Amino acid sequence: MTAEETRLEIGGVWTERADGWWLQTSATSVQEIARTMLKAEAHFVAIVALPEPVNAMQLSWHWDIGGTQLSAVSLLAEGVAVPSIVDIYPGADWAERETRDYYAVTFEGRDDTPSLMLRDGDRPGALLRKIGEKL
Amino acid sequence: MSYSIPIGPYHIALEEPYKIQVECEGENVVGATLKVGFNFRGIEWLAERKNITQCIALLERVCGICSNVHSMCLCMTLERIGKIEVPERGQHIRMVMAELERLHSHLLWAGVAAELIGFETVFMQMFRLRESVMDALEAVSGNRVNYSMNRIGGVNRDIQDDSKVREVVRAIRAVTEGTLIPLLTTDQTVIARCQGVGVLTRKDAIVYGVVGPVARASGIDTDLRRDQPYLAYGKVDFSVPVQTGGDVLARVVVRALEIVESCKIIDQVLDRMPQGPIHTGEIYSVPAGDATVRIEAPRGEVFYYLASNGSDTPARVKVRTPSFANIPSVIAMVRNNTIADVPLIQAALDPCYSCTDR
Repeated sequence: MTAEETRLEIGGVWTERADGWWLQTSATSVQEIARTMLKAEAHFVAIVALPEPVNAMQLSWHWDIGGTQLSAVSLLAEGVAVPSIVDIYPGADWAERETRDYYAVTFEGRDDTPSLMLRDGDRPGALLRKIGEKL
Repeated sequence: MSYSIPIGPYHIALEEPYKIQVECEGENVVGATLKVGFNFRGIEWLAERKNITQCIALLERVCGICSNVHSMCLCMTLERIGKIEVPERGQHIRMVMAELERLHSHLLWAGVAAELIGFETVFMQMFRLRESVMDALEAVSGNRVNYSMNRIGGVNRDIQDDSKVREVVRAIRAVTEGTLIPLLTTDQTVIARCQGVGVLTRKDAIVYGVVGPVARASGIDTDLRRDQPYLAYGKVDFSVPVQTGGDVLARVVVRALEIVESCKIIDQVLDRMPQGPIHTGEIYSVPAGDATVRIEAPRGEVFYYLASNGSDTPARVKVRTPSFANIPSVIAMVRNNTIADVPLIQAALDPCYSCTDR
């Protein structure tokens, strides 16, 4: 499937930007999106977390098909868990573990989410800490 | 008999700390677990506390080999948010730096791989050539690593005299085409050591999300320089080497062929180098907004996301390096190989643990 066919199959309102196509969606639909991406042999690129000013987190998943970037973005209330896509894309394992390490996001559906960058026992949310605050 | 062998995090075979725990039955590897994070420096946390000019220097230190790629990608992300057009000459100079850096990276890797294969002579030759690339990088930038060439809106230094770069590229291309590629594709020792070892199937390459030469060695025809051209890559002629074997040999051959393609690109860029300014002037902040940029680093696609709140300090900088995408696939590569093959399989990935951990 081409990037355009994949967008049509996923549905929703996609916005074209200089860096690719973006879809505002609910985090609960990310597994379905991932399955369609895999069917299209899309390359999984990254997960990006962006803290919002008030008790929320923006999470975006990025894929590539033939050089075209397709991004699904979701706004989460603080503390809300999101579905894992590791069973679909094993390559997302490190991205999810790192997102947990940096922003304390919980991914559901995994056997466990061990630390990737932090030491065993360190508190998740390393990038949320203030200057001088220890892990 | 089943047993488990921990390799690392501090080990004589590793240049940087990293741990792989290999599960074996006899000499056969049946599984592996990986542990990274030993080089974690919190660069993304630091980037949110420095102004964008300081961030260029900070992000250039993500990697000791492909440092230019990181400062360039950061600048390109800021330029995308600020809708800043880099002058043509600045774009061409960035391309020369990017391809010289690819030569540096691939030659260094070819030397390390040759040594692991047991080919000391090739190791010495590759490191001799790599030294000449570093001389060329020094001639252009004034530095052998961490070149400080990039700024928002262009580059810091012009190429006044391209003779050193041309001389180095000519020598590398002659040795690569005349010696390295014939040796890697016909020498029975190299083939016996590398063929069928550490296979990553095309299907596994997709689900693990590998990038760059590792993906291309598993039959995935991808290269952002061609698929989503940036700078002036759309104006130069080059091929994207793809192999289907998915083994160590395929990864070796892809990188060797890419050395020749980089030489071709540099020659064309120097031939068509336009006159004019090399940057747009002083820029200390960009408007509020966010953007991603992906470019083809020596080890594969590097991904940057930057969010700006309009101040001189980024609200968020996310870096996904190619090694971060590639290293997890080692789990698939080592399965059903012998324990003696593990170092070569890992080296064929061309991993950078400092990049991975940031």
